[in-house]
Amino acid sequence: MPANPELKQKVEEVLNENRVLLFMKGTPETPQCGFSMRVVGVLEQMGTEYGAIDVLPILGPLREVTGEIADWRTFPQLYVNGELVGGCDIVEEMAESGELAKLLGVEQPEGATAQPQPEGAASPQQSPPLQVDGA
Amino acid sequence: MIADALPGAEVEVIDETGGGDHLRAIVRAPQFEGKSRIDQHRMVRAAVRERMDDGSIHALSIQTTPA
Repeated sequence: MPANPELKQKVEEVLNENRVLLFMKGTPETPQCGFSMRVVGVLEQMGTEYGAIDVLPILGPLREVTGEIADWRTFPQLYVNGELVGGCDIVEEMAESGELAKLLGVEQPEGATAQPQPEGAASPQQSPPLQVDGA
Repeated sequence: MIADALPGAEVEVIDETGGGDHLRAIVRAPQFEGKSRIDQHRMVRAAVRERMDDGSIHALSIQTTPA
């Protein structure tokens, strides 16, 4: 089934307007799915601002849209700069490895690193402390 | 299904809840070499898409490594 063109256009607009955008089941305050909740947890830990869209009211049509734009049909989905980063598995792996913090342009939060960086990961440059909203 | 789509792949599927619909797939495949993580997951998802679409798999966690 082809995606609804109006919905697709709307999704593209929202992606343009939100550097970090999460499609999730439920809302950050009341997630309706464990995987969505875990991605919200990661984003909160990163202390980054993000937009969130509850997919549940439009699940079927939205699957068609994300299938077309990103070849991905399950939720949650995290987009950064309009590009699909991944679902829960990829987001968690990238949070642990430090790749996500780098992509988001934030410092790796303490406690997020599970494994030490093998290549001595050039000790992080000194930068001013982050302002974390609502933390 | 995954091994059919990715010849040479080592596939381990774990039934996480015992209900057969929440699965974890651990896949090591030569086809992943040089692919981004998201493309590796896309390849695995494409292989099981039918089962995701008909709802017989509700949730699939994926871990991939190039062979």
